[in-house]
Amino acid sequence: MKALYTIISLLWLLSCVLSCKKETKEIPYQPTPYEIDIPFGFPTKLNIPENNPMTVEGVELGRYLFYDGRLSGRTHPDSLMSCATCHRQERSFEAGIDHPDFPGGFPHGLTGLQTHHVMLPMINLVWNSTGYGWNGFLYPDNPDPQLRNLEDFVRLAVLASDEMDGDTTRIKNLFQSLNGYPELFEKAFGSSQITFTHIEKAIAQFIRTLISADSRFDKYMRGELQLSPSELNGYVLFTTEEGADCFHCHGGFGNPLFTTHLYYNDGKDTLFTDPMDRFSITGDPMDIGAYKATTMRNIELQGPYMHDGRFETLDDVIDFYSTAVVNSPSISPLMHHVANGGVRLTPTEREDLLSFIRTLRDDSFLTNPNFNKPEHFPDEE
Amino acid sequence: MFLIKINITLFTLIGILVVSGCTSKTETPESTTGKLTLHFDHEIEQAPIVFDTMRYTNAAGNKYLVNEIQYFISDVTLHHTDGRKIPLDAWEDIHYVDTDLPDTHDYLFKDEIEPGDYTRLSFTFGINEVKNQTLMFVNPPESFMFWPDNLGGGYHYMKLNGKWLNPSNQVVPFDFHLGIGQIYYSYPDSITSFVQNYFTVELPQSAFSITANQTTNIELVMQVENWFQSPNLYDHNTWGGDIMQNQEAMILGVKNGWDVFKVKNINTK
Repeated sequence: MKALYTIISLLWLLSCVLSCKKETKEIPYQPTPYEIDIPFGFPTKLNIPENNPMTVEGVELGRYLFYDGRLSGRTHPDSLMSCATCHRQERSFEAGIDHPDFPGGFPHGLTGLQTHHVMLPMINLVWNSTGYGWNGFLYPDNPDPQLRNLEDFVRLAVLASDEMDGDTTRIKNLFQSLNGYPELFEKAFGSSQITFTHIEKAIAQFIRTLISADSRFDKYMRGELQLSPSELNGYVLFTTEEGADCFHCHGGFGNPLFTTHLYYNDGKDTLFTDPMDRFSITGDPMDIGAYKATTMRNIELQGPYMHDGRFETLDDVIDFYSTAVVNSPSISPLMHHVANGGVRLTPTEREDLLSFIRTLRDDSFLTNPNFNKPEHFPDEE
Repeated sequence: MFLIKINITLFTLIGILVVSGCTSKTETPESTTGKLTLHFDHEIEQAPIVFDTMRYTNAAGNKYLVNEIQYFISDVTLHHTDGRKIPLDAWEDIHYVDTDLPDTHDYLFKDEIEPGDYTRLSFTFGINEVKNQTLMFVNPPESFMFWPDNLGGGYHYMKLNGKWLNPSNQVVPFDFHLGIGQIYYSYPDSITSFVQNYFTVELPQSAFSITANQTTNIELVMQVENWFQSPNLYDHNTWGGDIMQNQEAMILGVKNGWDVFKVKNINTK
């Protein structure tokens, strides 16, 4: 009886030890939440999908993928293409008019096909909840669940024949074979088995960290510096109906995103032939010839301007809004100066307005080391 | 044996207490207060607005269309038959309405309202100077209503955007925007003072009752043409496309605003 008791006790002890061992063997998936600091005056509501919460590990992985030319699914030096091929940090994550491979700032894909529209800046997109793209074809409550958010934009860019012309299976297999990447996926998403969904999510997380909120105007808003008289007069022009009247669409102190992320026909044309304007999404005749109002942040680096890149310089843009606005049935009601052809700025006013717009350049964003190309990719370390 | 009896009695008492405690938790006390909601509709010539269509003529004879209307109302106050004024501000004391955003057409008060008879309700069109502070709304769509600081700051009270047929037979935009006005020493550079243009809307035909445990819904309608007709004739040909820096024009709209809202229906459910 005593022996039986001893055996039972030993078995019980053994089972305890084994169960403890089992517990310590499983490392739970616990990524570190990535907290976004809301800059002064910025919206507190963020566009972060519930199924893709921001994590430090996800953002780190996303940054590698954003810059890795093998995202095209190819390894030959002539066939590499990453997000950063077009989205250059020094140009506020646009191509910029001085892009070495895209003359005039008109990007084309690996196949040589030019994109339908020029690029939009890739900044402060975590605050964009109304739609991505010039016509807003990606929006959160789109009936098509494949066309809703930044994650979908990543996939579309990879697949598009005028961009990477890629194949998702080939891409995920390629990254699966690269040393270091499976471990980063494990840390970010709890599995070293790479899926294209995780690739989309990681890149989208990185893009959501691209926040520009430290321009000279931001410092002025925070009371850290004073603007020059010309810059201040430019701001008054920017925010008055009798001045340049930019603020209703492009924000200001009360809307520091410097865009509404909404769509306007701003009076560029009288004939409309673009099959990819806002009307193509909504079917609303008032959206004919309407496109997204771009953010004015870093705008001096983002030429060429307008959806079709028709203006090379900011001077050209100001000239247009000053004297060349034309009427059409779908012109935005906010373009109330159309009867005069525009806002009719004097040469001094033009200069002052330009001076103010230049205060929206955020040099610390353009050189932020957290946003630039990593020194090494995971398989090179 | 005596100890066992005591234990049985004790457990029985505890059991009764536990059971009675549970029972009282699951009971919902009968509400002694009622709720109120406001619903906003927008009409011209006593019919829902047909937006973006040049089909209306205002009192000044301007043919016009309406594209969108966005505005704030605030400080809703109930006037009890006993003379008390009861502000509804338990949760949201400023409400944004946007003709393009149906969710904004209902103003749901969280206030617990005393049952009884009320002679009318009133509210502020716009936002008073104490509350109308720049950056108090940082999220869209309210933040898109900001009124530049150099023009007085805070937020537009209203953006009524449309187009009219001008004397040259051109369809051109008008932005009938109300907010803080400016008095200029030398237009448009030297502002000497600002004018608070918000105003109180009284709804004399809005007697209603609040019943315990029920929600009273008051349907209001903005009769858009009234902005342009009484007591002041507002002519787009005179005032042009923009009035944010024109107090003379804004005040006409403000004075006309007294009878823009009407009670359309009151029901309880």
